[in-house]
Amino acid sequence: MTRLLDVENLTLKFDTDEGRITAVDDVSFTLEAGEVMGLVGESGSGKSVTAKSIMKLNPGNASYGDDTKITLHLEDGPVDIMSLHGSKELKVVRGGAISLIFQEPMASFAPAITIGDQMVEQLLIHMDMNAKRAKEVSIEMLDRVGISDPSMRFGQYAFELSGGMRQRAMIAMALSTKPKLLIADEPTTALDVTIQAQVIDLMKDLVKDFGMGIIFITHDLGVIAQTADKVAVMYLGRLIEQGPVRDVLRNPSHPYTKGLIAALPRLDDLDSPLTPIPGDIPSPLERPTGCVFHTRCSVNLGDICTAKIPNFAKVTEGHNVACHLFNGEGAK
Amino acid sequence: MLQFSKFVAVRAALAVLTLVLVSFIVFTLMELVPGDCAERYVAFKSSQGSVITAADIQIERVRLGLDQPYVQRWGSWIFNAFQGEFGDSCILRVNIAQLLGQKFWLSLGLCLSALLLAYAIAIPVGIIAATSKNAVLNNSLRLVSYLGLALPNFLLALMIMLFSTVFFGDSLTGLFSKEYRDAPWDYDKVMDFLGHAWLPVFILGWSATAFAIQTVRALMSDEIGKLYVTAAAARGVSGRRLLMRYPARHALSPIINSLGFDLNRIFTELPIVALILTLTEAGSLLIEALARSNDQQLAGAIIFMLTASIVGINFITDIILALTDPRIRRSIVG
Repeated sequence: MTRLLDVENLTLKFDTDEGRITAVDDVSFTLEAGEVMGLVGESGSGKSVTAKSIMKLNPGNASYGDDTKITLHLEDGPVDIMSLHGSKELKVVRGGAISLIFQEPMASFAPAITIGDQMVEQLLIHMDMNAKRAKEVSIEMLDRVGISDPSMRFGQYAFELSGGMRQRAMIAMALSTKPKLLIADEPTTALDVTIQAQVIDLMKDLVKDFGMGIIFITHDLGVIAQTADKVAVMYLGRLIEQGPVRDVLRNPSHPYTKGLIAALPRLDDLDSPLTPIPGDIPSPLERPTGCVFHTRCSVNLGDICTAKIPNFAKVTEGHNVACHLFNGEGAK
Repeated sequence: MLQFSKFVAVRAALAVLTLVLVSFIVFTLMELVPGDCAERYVAFKSSQGSVITAADIQIERVRLGLDQPYVQRWGSWIFNAFQGEFGDSCILRVNIAQLLGQKFWLSLGLCLSALLLAYAIAIPVGIIAATSKNAVLNNSLRLVSYLGLALPNFLLALMIMLFSTVFFGDSLTGLFSKEYRDAPWDYDKVMDFLGHAWLPVFILGWSATAFAIQTVRALMSDEIGKLYVTAAAARGVSGRRLLMRYPARHALSPIINSLGFDLNRIFTELPIVALILTLTEAGSLLIEALARSNDQQLAGAIIFMLTASIVGINFITDIILALTDPRIRRSIVG
């Protein structure tokens, strides 16, 4: 395996009228080429912000931490993403070597521009080809993702396609420039379950064919179980557990991960009550001290949890958890 | 193409239908004014010293066709109106078409120019205001914009006149210099007209611009926040291309949509400006006919022509929208 992405100490803060909000706090992870990483957490846990910060797509009031380092390893050498400035330099991480798919395919296509025009536009920006060739490539890609009559679809607008078709077109567009990394931000959440399965299968096929890495953002652990090689769980801007997907799902170690899994409805026992994680995600303006999860944690150890940020501790090989139950004074 | 012609035809038919409906309302309002043209004329005569009998009034009624049934008179009024013929003014006893003459078209021209000026300024300024993070620029734009909204047109007109009288010895009133007033149109008259017309256009355009800047800025901010703009940025689209092809392009439809409404608003502001600048134009004739002389024939004619202009503008904007916005185009062509 070859290393594709290194994210080290990613911290991102937003300056708002109410004060400075920490959206991502000291997040580090790595991704190999051809690997699918699931990024899981509730709404507001900082998953999307983390993904966007890899493309430096966050709005003007965002500021990165001083020791944040994001490195993308390409064939012609590593790219230090934090040092990229201006649209020319950023091209490589925006639609070039990294592509992003959003949750809402309808809203992510411009309504008054045809799908084909938007695809051609991206190809002309990133690839060395003329408009005629770009059109051919676009139609090939639409065909590749299983859209029927691709040359007709090329001239259509997003509102003329069905939901599943739109997301396929979005995937076709994202992959047309042959990116090394695909970030999929809840790409199937807005789709019907049957369509969702088709789109996931399609993505898995394409990853194999194109040999790229995927960061798959979702709150759906079922989707993660099907698609991902490894999983990272986020809560309130912090990574709290990460590891190979089977290890983490079979042997969840952080009380939050356990809670997420326990909260899933069980089809084999429909009478069992749902067990939601108690409480709500705190306001980002009132970040808890110590372990960010202690306000909702069922095994709160007291002072140590409210005072000290837990370090990562090893559960099994590659499976790490940031919880006082597993390290230092709290360890059993 | 066939479907598009059909769309245009249907819209045109709807526009004519709207006009017929409006004409009925206008005609009815004219009828609701107490008294009729015959009485008004006779009253005028008697004020001149003539002795008038009831029989004279009746003869006048028959002459004007006022003894005919209501619907029939409306029918002939609308029939003539569509040919630009509005009969005689009740008070002034002259043909309305001749009386209005080019005045109406001058008024419409002034309003359209003001509208054009407003959007020629508002579109770039509104886009800059929506995208710029420069606080000084934004706040000064906001200040100018609020001034435009808050400062009444007549006050602005008076200030400019005062300023111009004091410093240049010319009050800048009227639409023509004396020597051109009744002259036929030629190059010199056009130049003279333009030399005068800029001021009412500027004054009318002033508040219209302020209003339009607010509209454009709000629409732009709205579009910029949408996901498709972020998505385009994520694909590497950047700079002016990102701005113009994505949010600006998509904010255009609602702007085109509001043009008819804006024109109407400018026209209602015209009379006050015209009064101060002593312009002889249709708006002030309308106020005169409505408020002072009670000349229902004249008022009806002007209101009808104004409505026709607005219906016309809306018809044109509908066609433009259908051409520029695929969401509308596809709903027509399928």
